[in-house]
Amino acid sequence: MRVLEADGDGRVVVCGAGDLADGERRVFKVGRRRVGVFRVDGRYVALHGGCPHAGGALCEGPLTGTTLPTDEPYTYEYGREGKVLRCAWHGIEFDVETGTSLVDPALRARTYPVAVEDGAVVVHLRGRGGT
Amino acid sequence: MIDCDVHNAWESARVLLPYLDQPYRDYLERGELPGGRDSFPHAHRAWLHPEGYMRYDAIPPNGATPGGDYAFMRDQLLDPYKIDYAILLGDESVEVSTLANPYYASALARAYNDWVLDAWATLDDRLKISIVVAPQDPEGAAAEIRRIGGHPAVVQVLVTSASQRPYGDPLYHPMWAAASEMGLPVAAHLGGTGGVNVGPTGTGNPTFFWEAHALYAETGMGHIASYLAHGIPEKYPNTKFVLVECGVAWVPSILWRLDADYQALRKETPWLKRLPSEYAREFVRVTTQPLERPKNPAGMWESLDDIGGRDMLMFSSDYPHWDFDDPFLTRFPADWKDAVLDGNARALYKLPARADDAKEAAGARA
Repeated sequence: MRVLEADGDGRVVVCGAGDLADGERRVFKVGRRRVGVFRVDGRYVALHGGCPHAGGALCEGPLTGTTLPTDEPYTYEYGREGKVLRCAWHGIEFDVETGTSLVDPALRARTYPVAVEDGAVVVHLRGRGGT
Repeated sequence: MIDCDVHNAWESARVLLPYLDQPYRDYLERGELPGGRDSFPHAHRAWLHPEGYMRYDAIPPNGATPGGDYAFMRDQLLDPYKIDYAILLGDESVEVSTLANPYYASALARAYNDWVLDAWATLDDRLKISIVVAPQDPEGAAAEIRRIGGHPAVVQVLVTSASQRPYGDPLYHPMWAAASEMGLPVAAHLGGTGGVNVGPTGTGNPTFFWEAHALYAETGMGHIASYLAHGIPEKYPNTKFVLVECGVAWVPSILWRLDADYQALRKETPWLKRLPSEYAREFVRVTTQPLERPKNPAGMWESLDDIGGRDMLMFSSDYPHWDFDDPFLTRFPADWKDAVLDGNARALYKLPARADDAKEAAGARA
């Protein structure tokens, strides 16, 4: 995994603004912290890489869609394409934009603010909330 | 730290070809296979994992099969978690138990065992080997245990938790006799619920993967009851029984029930000298992954403590599978850690004492 440095303000320059297409990501380490930056619908989101469920590799799982909740048993409607991050280990699904688990709203991955600054994608590790 | 459930894989089952005796080399070379040219002859379970059963981050950079690349396993598991020994259980090889032809099943098991000893046991002293046997061929299983069970890297005999009969049944006594003679435990790893084996529950087949996966615990219950009731610990005292990946939280409940029913109906099994739970504490071991996650973990540990769980549990990660338990993040009571993370497996598998412990002991003797 790529190792990046934060500056004195907790800013991490991840990549150029043109480097990621929608659905693509950069996963990296800063010190012992793992972070994933995703481009979703032209916006950037950053999530803490350790899954809040059991410490798994949250940001290394597929970014995908899933079956939508339904009141009609045995019917399947597929949606949220490209908005659901499945943890690489146990498969818990998270809303990639908010870090909230689909199965247990109390289970939340930490998010970080991301900005495009001078043509670079920059994660602010000291900030709270990315969306 | 000892990890009691690590899955080594191959890129293709064709690695077994040089190890297979004729006519079975022809079977694998030209015969029907369940999943294409590189697949392993077995009857697959009826529940297909909707995401595949591997950790996504366990795919090596070269795209190889998770568990198939030793260097990647070393860098992702053995070194960072400071694992003293990893007990290797292979991957699909144990599913020989699903085949109807017991002789083909035994031939494949022999080929796997020779391959894994050549290809894996030689790589790293930390890797210890489970030899696969075909339980549906009890005499063949016994012969295989005697043939290769004395190899210094071999620490146990491996079968699937799904079976045709529960493992205490007299059908399997040749296997237990050989294991006892060679001083090796027999482990049943969750799975093998296909082909000639009965389904995972007594109710008929479940529907969804997660539903079936949770219910595989029932296979473990059936084997513990059978192993204890048939008095395997009395008849074959130099072997033990290890349940791998079948869960741990239910073990107290089943042992309490077995004790109660045995006490009422002792006359059915007069060869037993002790309570089922007392035999279990000495002769049954259960690996921890996937460790249940109750809202009140203290309650689970209290009930496990009631049946001597501290002597029975052995840590396992199930690397590189999807329901991996992280050795650093999985929580055990502080005074259970030495036994569960290391001591119980070290004693069971007769592994050398830790270097610091040996040094301390030498110091004490001096």
